[in-house]
Amino acid sequence: MRKKLLLVISTILILSLIFSACAKEPTENADNLGAEQHEEKPKVEQVLKYGTDAEPSGLDPHTISATAAIRIFGQIYNALIDVDDDMNFIPELAESWEQPNDVTYIFKLRKGVKFHNGREMVADDVKYSFERVLDPATAAIGQSYYNMIESIEVLGDYEVKFTLKEPFAPFLTNLTSLYGAIVPKEVVEENGNLMQVACGTGPFKLKEWIPDNRIVLVKNEDYFEEGKPTLDAIEYYVMTDEASRIAALRTGNVHLVKLPAASKPLVEGNEDIVIKSYQSNDYTYLGFNLTLDKFKDPRVRQAISYAINRQEIIDMTYDGEAEVSGFVPSAMGRWAIDYASEDLYKQNIEKAKQLMAEAGYPNGFETTIAVGLLDDIRSTGEIIQKQLEAIGIKAEIQNLETGQYIDAWSNKKHEMMAGRNGAGSDPNRAVAFFFSTEGSANVWGYSNPDVDKLCDLGKKTVDEDEREKIYKEAQKLILNDCPNLFIASPMEYYFVRKEVKNFNPWTFNAEDFKEIIIE
Amino acid sequence: MRAYIIRRLMLLIPILLGISLMIFLIMQFIPGDVISGMLGIEETPELRAQLEKKLGLDQPLYKQYINWISKAVRGDFGTSFRTGKDIFPEIMSRFKITFQLTIMAAIISWIIAIPLGILSAMKRNSIIDGFVRFISLLGVSVPSFALATLAILLLSKGFNYYPSVGYVDITVDPIRNLEIMFLPAIILGSSMAGSVMRMTRSSLLETLRQDFIKTIRAKGASEKVVLFVHSLKNALIPIITLIGMQIGSLLGGAVVIEQIFSIPGLGLMTLTGINQRDFPVVQGCVLFIAFVYVIVNLTVDILYTYIDPRITYKAGR
Repeated sequence: MRKKLLLVISTILILSLIFSACAKEPTENADNLGAEQHEEKPKVEQVLKYGTDAEPSGLDPHTISATAAIRIFGQIYNALIDVDDDMNFIPELAESWEQPNDVTYIFKLRKGVKFHNGREMVADDVKYSFERVLDPATAAIGQSYYNMIESIEVLGDYEVKFTLKEPFAPFLTNLTSLYGAIVPKEVVEENGNLMQVACGTGPFKLKEWIPDNRIVLVKNEDYFEEGKPTLDAIEYYVMTDEASRIAALRTGNVHLVKLPAASKPLVEGNEDIVIKSYQSNDYTYLGFNLTLDKFKDPRVRQAISYAINRQEIIDMTYDGEAEVSGFVPSAMGRWAIDYASEDLYKQNIEKAKQLMAEAGYPNGFETTIAVGLLDDIRSTGEIIQKQLEAIGIKAEIQNLETGQYIDAWSNKKHEMMAGRNGAGSDPNRAVAFFFSTEGSANVWGYSNPDVDKLCDLGKKTVDEDEREKIYKEAQKLILNDCPNLFIASPMEYYFVRKEVKNFNPWTFNAEDFKEIIIE
Repeated sequence: MRAYIIRRLMLLIPILLGISLMIFLIMQFIPGDVISGMLGIEETPELRAQLEKKLGLDQPLYKQYINWISKAVRGDFGTSFRTGKDIFPEIMSRFKITFQLTIMAAIISWIIAIPLGILSAMKRNSIIDGFVRFISLLGVSVPSFALATLAILLLSKGFNYYPSVGYVDITVDPIRNLEIMFLPAIILGSSMAGSVMRMTRSSLLETLRQDFIKTIRAKGASEKVVLFVHSLKNALIPIITLIGMQIGSLLGGAVVIEQIFSIPGLGLMTLTGINQRDFPVVQGCVLFIAFVYVIVNLTVDILYTYIDPRITYKAGR
């Protein structure tokens, strides 16, 4: 009898613990609601809580390129210049600049900008930062962005001159990247690197980092833009599990998460959550291993382009919310051609069959499509698999874990591969980096001397209209060669609590949190 | 006894060496490497060469292994390729968290499982027994990640509740710490409870069938005395073996639960290491986990001698 009683009591105890814990949150919310109805609003803590999907391995802007890290050090560091919504260059740490000739750039720095350690940022720091990037011992990711620099000369505390080896049109664009963030020498020297420490000039500074759990940034009171940032702190919570992120958003434990389109139905009808979207400058593709015989003939690749229906992929994968795209997505403005009107983008099974027959594959062939862990890429791969049946191509889907996928991508261990690329903000990146013979992301074995010539010309041509013509011509050539099939440029989605105001993500600076207010 | 313990500890050396060599080789054989992961699309041959030099990956494999192992035996597990941080202190701080989670889960599972197991054995083939057996089967068959996802969904949708997101150490803010750890501990605990419940029931039933119990009953002892004084202690050996194994594997990190609840434990550290092909981290973690597992097993073996004095360990046996 007593045992039974004990059992009942312990069960009740456990249950009551659960429910008391459960009950806590709603009461807090109810309090807030009650308070809002009063005339005087209580002061709300100005802390943005961000549920992020991955932990950065380090915060060194010169050596780390993962999104999870850029998201955070993007708030900590500044580059010399930036771009606005229309892709015009605007001042950041440099107040103004001039270009006396094709290979010389002189930057005047903002005065009174302080690093987070309190020291003023001067021209010597600019020189040091780029020299650090170009030093092979640093193994900096952005070396290729700046290796055309011949010399950097300090003209005064606030003036610095870059001399290039040859004219390089994307130079200013490359300067907007945080691969060229300005960092203080003494902090690098004291710590060996900037992986676990951070000291920049940005609106927020690193306060706390609990591995695999959270990173806390606090307001930089000395930030050079008057009145910014409005937040006191940003707390990044590492939540790798998507269901957990959504649950935490639902209950208000975090304010903001980035999620794929497929998650939208999960918060439908929830009035506390607003979905903010923007057109990305990413595009999805189907890549071919051009060293394999069956993909060497461009007619085979063209046939595959005619066989697939891009709009169907978009409708099924993104619920219609993506654009038919090439490798220079429309978000890149003037540089993009109108891909949707291209003949190769219109499904034409007859023509596809005819091309396959001409290429010697009247009955198709067997192949594989490698896909990674991203849901949209898997879905894209599966739909293409289905669509290719119409021309006799039997493709098997290979699901690869991230490490395997990267390995397959960089070492041509695939036949076909579905993937997603970021096109960058300059056509030199979108075109030459991915499709010139020497381009470091040209992993397909693609080579077209005419494209190479245009890429070389585009790099050296400073006149924007002239450049536009060059890159548009290159796009047409590449499109016709079909080294990849380009499919769609998806949207990106932030799921945000309604109390977060003034957050407006856009393509080239999605996470500008400087003016956010929590109500 | 002491000689036995020393012998067991000595055996650790070849075990750990073997494991470290195996992990090193496995990490070499799985596709993808740490540099591809770090550089991704920005990889160039020059950059790869610079990084290989920086990380010491330009040396032949056997040299890399010898370098690592010669430091590891001196307690220096090296630094992570990805983060550049010292691995051993990181393992210790992660282990503290995993240890707490394990202990909480274990206690919760005992609170649920042992009383119910006993009850079920006492009321064999009754409705209560049937119910308990059903619950334990459920506990054994529902994986903890499914339970966790379900719990999160139910609590967040039904009660607008989600545990606090920022982990704090128990020494800093015990109440908040317990709030964070409670739900994952319950989920892990109930998964553990299923098998402990079944083991308690069957082991107790078997003891109750033995001749010495008949003798005790024949001597007129009450059921209470039969159960708590004579049977339970005898039934404990297999239960403790099971619990020991469960604790041993949980101390290696409850990877999925840690991931779902963002608890920065050892499991998550190992997983991140594997995903990033960061072999010093993986090796450090696996070695440490193996070490803990062996120690837990040894502790269990020693516990036997206290529970059942008939068990002794003689040196040289």
